[in-house]
Parts: sequence; structure tokens; C-alpha cells
Amino acid sequence: MSHAPTRSAPRRTVAAVSAASALLLAMSACSTPSGGGDPAEAAPGVTDDTVTIGTHQPLTGPAAAGYSSISAATTAYFAYLNENGGVNGREIEYLVKDDGYNPANTQTVVRELVQDDEVFAILNGLGTPTHTAVLDYLNQNEVPDLFVASGSTSWNQPEEYPWTFGFNADYVTEAEALAQYADDEFAGQSVCMLGQDDDFGDEFLEGLENVLGEGSLASVQRYSVSNQDVVAQIGAMQAAGCEVNMLATVNGFTALAIGTAAKLGYQAQWMSSSSGGDYVTLAGFLGEAAPLLLEGFVTTNYLPYAPGNEWDDLFRQINDDYNDGAPFDGNTVFGMSVGYLFAEALAKAGDNPTRQGIVDAIASGDLVGNGLVPLAFGSDSHSAYKGVSITTVTAGVQDFIGVTYVSDGDGGVEPYDGDAVPLENDGVPTS
Amino acid sequence: MDRLLFLLATGLARGAIFALFALALVLIWRAARVVNFAQGAMAVVAVYVAFAVTGLTGSYWIGLASALVAGGLMGLVVERGVMRFASHASPLSGVIIAIGVVMVLQSALGIAFGSNTRPMEAPFSESPIVIGGVPVLSPYDLFVLILAVGLMGVLALLFTRTSLGLQLRASAFAPEVSRLLGVRVTRMVTAGWVLASAVGALAALLLVPTELGLNPHSADMLFVSAFTVAVVGGLDSPPGALIGGLAVGVLISLVTGYLGATVAPIAVLVLLVAVLLVRPGGLFATTEARTA
Repeated sequence: MSHAPTRSAPRRTVAAVSAASALLLAMSACSTPSGGGDPAEAAPGVTDDTVTIGTHQPLTGPAAAGYSSISAATTAYFAYLNENGGVNGREIEYLVKDDGYNPANTQTVVRELVQDDEVFAILNGLGTPTHTAVLDYLNQNEVPDLFVASGSTSWNQPEEYPWTFGFNADYVTEAEALAQYADDEFAGQSVCMLGQDDDFGDEFLEGLENVLGEGSLASVQRYSVSNQDVVAQIGAMQAAGCEVNMLATVNGFTALAIGTAAKLGYQAQWMSSSSGGDYVTLAGFLGEAAPLLLEGFVTTNYLPYAPGNEWDDLFRQINDDYNDGAPFDGNTVFGMSVGYLFAEALAKAGDNPTRQGIVDAIASGDLVGNGLVPLAFGSDSHSAYKGVSITTVTAGVQDFIGVTYVSDGDGGVEPYDGDAVPLENDGVPTS
Repeated sequence: MDRLLFLLATGLARGAIFALFALALVLIWRAARVVNFAQGAMAVVAVYVAFAVTGLTGSYWIGLASALVAGGLMGLVVERGVMRFASHASPLSGVIIAIGVVMVLQSALGIAFGSNTRPMEAPFSESPIVIGGVPVLSPYDLFVLILAVGLMGVLALLFTRTSLGLQLRASAFAPEVSRLLGVRVTRMVTAGWVLASAVGALAALLLVPTELGLNPHSADMLFVSAFTVAVVGGLDSPPGALIGGLAVGVLISLVTGYLGATVAPIAVLVLLVAVLLVRPGGLFATTEARTA
């Protein structure tokens, strides 16, 4: 090897580095996002007649099967809203970027949204591992990071992440509610858990043990999403004599667990987190046997997804009119509810919304949302729902049974008998 | 003891599928000296064909036959259409082209059929037969095992006892000499691809009913496991693929059962590293070390 290239290489590197840093300086000088506050200057993404927001979603890749319909539902709701005058005279433009549920892609697409598309806020970024990858970035740049689609408790850290707000009822609260329900309805039976081998499973286990007592589960099994074979785990639960099985599983693995148990001739009472408890989605995985396998299946929900509910009726109508009549399931209600909550927050942020303004509006605790339990947002809570309602499946129909729990803030839940939020003004929020 | 038996049986059934898919990788490696990274996506295309045919005719067996045909066709099209033009100067060009093929196929499937998972029925019961109180293999698992071992036998006969097998082996090991002796080497390479793709399609078809169902990514993890199997067994060795497949299947099952699902992929990697350190060519490699 000759020496000439090795000698000149450092010089080239220096040149490249200095050119790059000059470019970086120039870029940061002209694109520093303003944190808002100055009402005379419009916030990024806000014009006289539009507000542009963005999201990262798994539209392709392995996670797309369970979740790609959410952003389509949100987009359909915004189309309906825009047709009905938008929010304070502004239409909402929703930019949906595909991250394939890969945190590395999430970092790229969120930077594109913030720096190139100059969105006003990120709405409903989906997934715990994916969104964790951009949590610091969004907060450092003071971009409102609203209604993250994940039940992790990470989003509820107002001191550390003042710009981030969650949407889902967190896994701990969900698990506490399910554990309480199991304790009330199936007292004395042996309770076990199958959970994902990450925060989802950890937080869910924490909630179960909060109510049932530490070490009270007869068997705790974990699965990894990279291996679609849970025979070993289900076999262990069967051998341990588990009667009530709690699932901290995504939809696909809920179906896999119940299907595997059926193949092993193992019958148990199944209870699942709402993240993996949507009947329509599960039935898609399980095929014809679904009504039989899912009879008596228990899960939770905090959104008005029930036949005959007025929100449900409205969302079905919007789904028909603006979403080409796509299959209507829990994801559809989730996506539209997110859209509604954002519209409400934007309306509350006033005629000249700023980034600081919308965050203040949410933290004021004045938002109502469309949930079955009151929204928990406030200056010291960035968590949306601190309660859930129990649903069961009877003859292929998933519906509420009128049992609702809210967190008592002390490692337990208490029954909640207040009313769900009623539908107002045809689902178009007004300031 | 009961638990050990249960886990061994589960692992064997899955291992047989790994073995078949690894065999497909080995066949292409032997024919063309390329690791076919597009194997998974190509196999899934064939399974979609089988799914459609089974849906139309109501017969699993016609579906299975159509998967073999579609798999073979995929091999033909990909080899003649794309892989043939990969530069032989660097093994990377073939790999990169194959990854490109994966992206095109997966996106095309996604566009055509959506990303939803479609449940597929197995032709036999998947409920395990209970022997002495221990649930062991299900009829479907037995079917998979018998099919895998039987196919290995047929391929062994093909390679060692027929003129086509001799030509395939000759063009793989000494293309220049074979050409001089009148073997149509390019045709043999294509034949290797067709054969391998059909075997890969069969493996994916057997796997799908045991998992969630069919979607464009159904074979992603299968490819990863089978690639490990092929390297552990020796990329040159069909018996290595069989034994490596069963070994990796049992290893994953035992580790998942005794140590937890999180550790299973790590155990597979440890096995891979150990084998590469001790026998870089793979456990059953005939050559001293891999040449490419």
C-alpha cells in the first residue's frame, strides 16, 4: 500500500468536517424552532387557514398489520372536521410518515417533520420503542409531542418532558383494573401472566402485583415479538395450573396465545390489556374459530367503542363518508378519538395558537375528550386516562359490562360510577 | 422430565421447518455461491399463491402443489431476471441485489394484499398427541417432520444417483471444467435456483399455519433462523442443514422454556459464534474453510 493516500486522508477529513460543521451552523441558525410565546409571530406550521401537524406510524413492516389503520382513521376525522369549518377557521393538515416500527426510521422521519415540513406538533406517534427514540429530541426543540399512542408511563413525566403527553390508559392502571376485576369475579382462582419482554410486560406485572400482592402470580411467562411460537410458555402455564391468564400482549400475540392454548386443549379465562384486546382484530387472526375461542374474553377500554353509543355512531358515519368504509374496529375509534382530542386542544389554545399555548391548554386540565372516564391531564399529570372500563365478549360481540375502575393514585383502583363524556356539537370542538 | 420431553418435541417440529428452509439456502449456495437473502420474500409470494389456490379450490394439496410451482417460477424469474447480472467480483453485489428483491416483493405484496395477517388452516390437527400424560408432537408436526426428512432423502438421491444431480454438482464445484465437458452451466445454475426456491416455498408454507398467519413478512424471522442454521451446519452441506435445523429448533425451545423467551435469540447467536470460532466452515463442512 502506498503512503500518499494515508497522508492526505486526514487533511480531507478535516476539510469535510469543517465544511459539515459550517453547514450545520448555517442550518441551525435559520431553522431553530421557536418555542412560541410571541403572539405577533405565527408558530411553525400555523398559517391563517391551516395548521400542519405530523406523526410517525408503522404503515409497513411487521407492526403495520395491527396499527396502520389508526392514522387513516385520524385523517378521516380531520377531513370531516375540515369540511365542517375546521378549528377557529383553520383546516388541519395531517402528515403521516411511515417508520416501519423501527426506532432508527422514527428518528429520521420525525426530524423531517420538524425541520423540513415545520409541523406545529407531533400527534399520536405510535409505539414505545419508536417514540422513546425521539422523546428527547422533541422536548429539546420544544415541539408539542401530543397524545403518544402507547401505554408506557414514560410519557407522564411533566418535570422532565414538559412537551410530551400520553394518550392510552397506562399499562399499570389497566393491569390494576383487570386484577381487581379478577379478584372480584374469579376469587380464589390461580392467576398467571404472559407478557411482552419489555416495558409493556414489566409495567403490567407491576400493576397486577399492586393489587394481588407481590409474588402472588402462579406463573409469569414472557414472549419476544421476534418468535411467533409461544408453545413453551403456554405449556408452562398449563402445567402450573393457571386458571385466569392475564395478557400483556399485542393483538397478534393475544391471538397466538389463545390459539396455542386451544391446540394444547387448555381452557382458561383470558384477560388482556386493551393494546391486544380488540375483538375485530383478534377475529381476523383467529379466523372462523374466533367466536368460540374468544367467548368470555375480558379486556378493557377507555374509549366509547360500543354498539349504539353516540360517539360510536358518529365515528362509523365518518368512517363511511371519509375513510372509504374501511373495516370499523377499535383502532378506528382510537384514531378518531385522538383527532377529536387534538382538535379540542387546538380550539382551547385560542385564535392564534402557539406551541406553548397548546401545551398550556392541555395542562390546564380543561380538556374533556370523549372517554368513558374523565381526562386526567393537569399541570402535574401528562397522562390522559387513569381509568378503564371492563368489556367482555359474548357470542362474538364485545361490549362493556358497566364495570369501570379509576386509579386511586395509591397502587390500586376504585369503582367509578360517573357518566361517560356525552357527544356535543356533532364531534366538532368549539373554543 | 415431562417438561423436557414437551420442549424437545416442540423444538423438533419447528426445527424441521428451519431445516427445510436452510436446505433451500444451501442449494442456492452450492449452485451459485450466493447466499440468497431474498429467499424469505420469494417463498412468501409462493405461499400467497397457495393461499389463493386453496381458497378457490378448497383443497390444501392443490394449494401445496401450486406453492411448489410458484416457488420454482420465482426462482427462475429472479435468477434469470436479476441475479444473473450480479457482478461476481464481490459477493456483496449479489447480497445487495437480493435485498432489493426483498423490498420490491414485500412492497408489491403489501400493495396487492395489504399488511393484514390472514389465518391459514393446517391440513392435519395441530393438537398434540398425549403419550403418558405428556403432550408431544401433533399430527401436523409429524407431517412436517416426515415431509422434511423425506424431501432430504429425495434430494440426496437426485444429487448422487442421477445425471442431472451430477451435472448440478459439477457446475457448482468446477464451472469452468464442467463447461469444457459440455455441461450447460448457466442452465444448471438456474435449475439450482428453481429447486431451491421450491423447497423454500414449501418450508414457508409449512410454517405459516403454526404461526399467526400469512402476511408479507411471514418469513422474515424464518429466514434469520434458517440462515443461522445454514451457517452452523455448513453452507455446503445438506445433512448439515437438517441436523443444524433440528438442533437450533430444540435449542430455541429449551432456552425459551427454561430461561425465557428473551434469552433464546442470544442463545442462537452464542451457538453461531461458537461454531464459527471452532469450525469456521460449519459443523458439517467438507472444505477446511469457506471460500467466499
